[in-house]
Amino acid sequence: MNQALKQAYGDPYLDIEEYDPEADLMVLNLGPQHPSTHGVFRLKLYLDGEVIVKAVPFMGYLHRGVEKLCEKLTYLQLVPIFDKNDYVSPMMNEQSLVMAFENLLEVEVPRRARYLRTILAEMQRVASHLLWLGAFAMDLGGALGGGSTLFMYCFRERELILDLFEEVTGSRFHYNTHTIGGNRHDLPSGWAAGVHRALRTINSRIDEYETFLTTNDIYLGRTRNIGVVDGDLALELGITGPILRAAGVDHDLRRDAPYHAYDEIEVRVPVQTAGDCEARSLVRLAEIRESIRIVTSMVDGVPEGPLTSRKPVKTAISEKIDHGHAYACVESPRGELGIYVIGGGANRGASPYRLKIRPPSLHALSCLPYVLPGHSVSDAVAILGSVDPIMGEVDR
Amino acid sequence: MNPWIRALIYAVVIVTLLMTVTAWSLWFERKFSARMQSRLGPTFYGPAGLLQPVVDGLKLLQKETLIPESADRFLFIVAPPLTVLLALATAAVVPFGADVVAADLNVGVLYILALGSLTIVPVWAAGWASNNKYAILGSMRAVAQGISYEIPLVLAAMVPVVLAGSMSMTDIVNYQIAHGWFAFWPPGPGFLAFLFFLPASLAEANRIPFDIPEAESELIAGVTTEYTGMGFGLLYLAEYLHTLIVSAVATVLFFGGWDGPFRPGLHWMVIKTLVLFGGIFWVRWSLVRFRSDQLMAICWRYLVPLALLLVMSAALWVHFVEGGS
Amino acid sequence: MTILGQVPSERCQALLRDRFEPRDCDTGGPPLVAVARHVELATTLRDELGYRIFGFVVAAHYPASKSQEDGVDQIRIAYGLRTVGPSSELAAWQVQVALGETVPTLAHLFAGADWQEREQYDLVGVRFEGHPDLRRLMLPEDWEGHPLRKDYAIDTQVPPWR
Repeated sequence: MNQALKQAYGDPYLDIEEYDPEADLMVLNLGPQHPSTHGVFRLKLYLDGEVIVKAVPFMGYLHRGVEKLCEKLTYLQLVPIFDKNDYVSPMMNEQSLVMAFENLLEVEVPRRARYLRTILAEMQRVASHLLWLGAFAMDLGGALGGGSTLFMYCFRERELILDLFEEVTGSRFHYNTHTIGGNRHDLPSGWAAGVHRALRTINSRIDEYETFLTTNDIYLGRTRNIGVVDGDLALELGITGPILRAAGVDHDLRRDAPYHAYDEIEVRVPVQTAGDCEARSLVRLAEIRESIRIVTSMVDGVPEGPLTSRKPVKTAISEKIDHGHAYACVESPRGELGIYVIGGGANRGASPYRLKIRPPSLHALSCLPYVLPGHSVSDAVAILGSVDPIMGEVDR
Repeated sequence: MNPWIRALIYAVVIVTLLMTVTAWSLWFERKFSARMQSRLGPTFYGPAGLLQPVVDGLKLLQKETLIPESADRFLFIVAPPLTVLLALATAAVVPFGADVVAADLNVGVLYILALGSLTIVPVWAAGWASNNKYAILGSMRAVAQGISYEIPLVLAAMVPVVLAGSMSMTDIVNYQIAHGWFAFWPPGPGFLAFLFFLPASLAEANRIPFDIPEAESELIAGVTTEYTGMGFGLLYLAEYLHTLIVSAVATVLFFGGWDGPFRPGLHWMVIKTLVLFGGIFWVRWSLVRFRSDQLMAICWRYLVPLALLLVMSAALWVHFVEGGS
Repeated sequence: MTILGQVPSERCQALLRDRFEPRDCDTGGPPLVAVARHVELATTLRDELGYRIFGFVVAAHYPASKSQEDGVDQIRIAYGLRTVGPSSELAAWQVQVALGETVPTLAHLFAGADWQEREQYDLVGVRFEGHPDLRRLMLPEDWEGHPLRKDYAIDTQVPPWR
C-alpha cells in the first residue's frame, strides 16, 4: 500500500502498546451483541476519550462451513443453500452460483431466462437497498425514534417486492428459483401489471425519502465528511459496488462485464466523488431509481421461449462434472459477488471439488481499520451502517 | 383550612394525576408512533390497548432485579427512585389553575430550574454505579449535555420572568392573562424564547433528538444498560414525567397557563400541556439524533449567545415600552 | 476456463506466455506459474496492465493420491485480478506448493489480499510468507486443524462451545 494512503488513513497494524504511554485507552467491544452491528460482528475499539485510535474487526460468528458443505452436496442441492449467504439479496447468490456451474458445463441459457434473471436481479437490488436504508436510519436515530419510522416505511415498500417474488417463485425469501441452464419458475399472468403498480408506488415514496437524505440537517451532520473512503483506498482493498462508486471510480459489472441480458439494455451507473457516508447513500438511492427504470422498461418485453435449456432433472445426482475451473461474478447490491468452482469432487463428480465465494462485504469490512481511527463511537455506527455488510456472506 | 393540609391534599392529587397521565402517555406514545409508521400499536389488552400500561407495569414489577457484582450497590439502587422524586418535586410549584397549586413559591421559576439541573445527578449516578463502559459513556454524555443546556434553558426562562417582573409562576400567568401570552406578545422575544426553551428542556430530559445518553443504536441502552425490572421502569418513567412537567412549565411560562378564550380554568392548562406533550412525541418519532459533539456545538455556538440577546431585548422592552424597572 | 465467455484475458495470457513460462495444470484451470515469480507477475499485471482490483485467492488441497507429484500433498492456489472500468477483464493464474511450504504474500501489493489470504490460511492451512498479520479469520483462534483439507471429515466432532 503506498505511502500516501498510509498517511491519510489509520493503521490497522498499529502496536497499541507503543501508542502513547500517557493516554488512558479504553477498550470497547462493539458487538457481537449490539443493536446495530448488522448481524453478529465484533468490533474491538481502542478509544482515547471518545475518539477511536485503533479498530480491530473480528468475524466468524456466523461461519457455517458452507464451503466445506459444498464438497458434500451436489450441484443442484447447493442452490437453496446459497440463498443463505447474502441473506438480504438471495437472487444474486443463486445467480452467480448457477452461472459458475453453467460455465463449467458450457451450457447456454435461453433468452427468456436471461431476461427473467435480469428483472429479478434488479428488483432484488431495490429490495436490498430499501432494507439498507431502513437499517441505516435506525443506526442513526435509534430503534425508538425517528429512525424506526423510516425503517417501517422501507419495509412496507419492500413487502410489495417480496409479494411479487412470492407470486413467481412461491417464497418471499430464499427462492431456489434458478437452475443450471435457466430458471425453474415462470411468470404468472398479470405479473407485469403488478410490477408496474408496485414500482410506481415505490418510486413516489422514494421521493419522500430523498428529501430526508438530502435536506435534513441532522442527517447531513451525521453523514457528511464521515468515513471518507477515497478511490485509491477502495481499489487497494478490492472494494467494489456502491462504496467504490461513491469514491468516484466508475466501475459496475453490469455495464463493464455484462451477463444475463445486461448487454441488451443500457445501465446508467451513478457515481459520486465525495466518498463519505452521504455519497454512499446518494449512490444507493440513485441505484434504486435506476433499477426501477430498468425493470419497468424490461418487464413488458420478456421474450417468449423456453425457460431452461436442459431437461428437468429427476435426482439430485444428475449433473456430473469431473474437471474444469470456472469463475462467475455478478454485481450484487454490495459489490462483486464471485463464485469460483473446481469440478470433480465426491460422488464421482456430482459435487464440486472446491467452491469459493468471493464476498463483497468482506472487502467492504476490511476498510474499517483504515477508516475508523479519528472518528467517535457514534460515527463508527454510522460508518458501519453505510458500508452495509451482510455477515452471512462475510462468514459463510 | 390549615394551609399545610391544603398543600398536602393538592400534592397528593397532583402526584397521582401526574403518574397516571405519565403511565397513559406510554400508551399514547405507542399508539401514536405506530400509526405514524403504518402499524397498529397495542390492541390486545383492554379496548384499543388501553390497559397496556397496567400490564407493562405489572410485567416490570415481577422481573428479577439484577445488581451486577461490581456495581456500587447504594447508588445503583437509589438512582432510579431519585430521578422520579426530583421530577415530581418539580411539579410542586406548577399552577394548574387559579388556585390549584401545591406550593405557590414566589421563586417558583428558580425552584424549577434548580431542580431541573439536579435531575442530571441521579442519571449520572446510575451510569456510574453500573460499572459498565457503555453506561459510563452514556452518563458522561448526559452530564455534558445537561450542564451545557442548562444555560440556554435558564436564559430562555428568564425572558418571561423579566417581562412579568416576578419569579412566581402564578404571577407570570396572571400577567399573561392581563397582557397577552408571552409566546405571541411582545412579538419576537417571547416566541424565540419558547423556541429555545423547548429544545433546551428536551436536552435536559434526554429526548430525541438529544437522547445521546441512552442512544440505543450506539450504546445499547446507555445509562440504563444494567438496569432490569422496576429500576429500568422508574428511569424511563422519570423521563416521561420530566417531559410532561416540562410541557406544563412551558405552557405556564409562555402560553398563559390556565388562560383561554372563554372560561379560563384548569381544563385549558391540561389541554395546552397535552398538546405540547404530543408535539414532543411527534418530534421524537420523526428525527434522527445528533452526535454528542454536534449537540455541544449547537448549544455553545448558537443557543447561548442568542439567548443572551433575547434576555437583553426583553429587558429593553420592559424598560422602554412598559416603563417598568 | 471460461468466465461468461471471457477467458482469462488475452493480454494476461500473452504476458504469461512472453515472460513467465506458464505450465498447464493437470487438474485444469488457469496457467500454472512458478511460485518464485508470482509476486513479480502480480506487480506487472497491476502496474503495467492496470489490473487494480483484487479478485480472489482460492486454495485447494490435492492429496497425494490426486496430484501427480510423487506422493506429496499439493496445494494449488488460483488468483484473480480485475481491471477497472468499461470492458473489465479478468486475469488469473495458479501457483502450486507442497503441503507445508509457504507462498509469498500479495498483501503488500493489494491490501485486499490481506483478509482473503488469512481466510485461506484459516481454512486450508497454506502459510503466506511476509503477511503482516497471519492469523485465523473465521474460526476461533485456538481451533485445531484446517477444515477445507481433504482429510478433515465434515462431521469431525468438536467439543461444545465454551
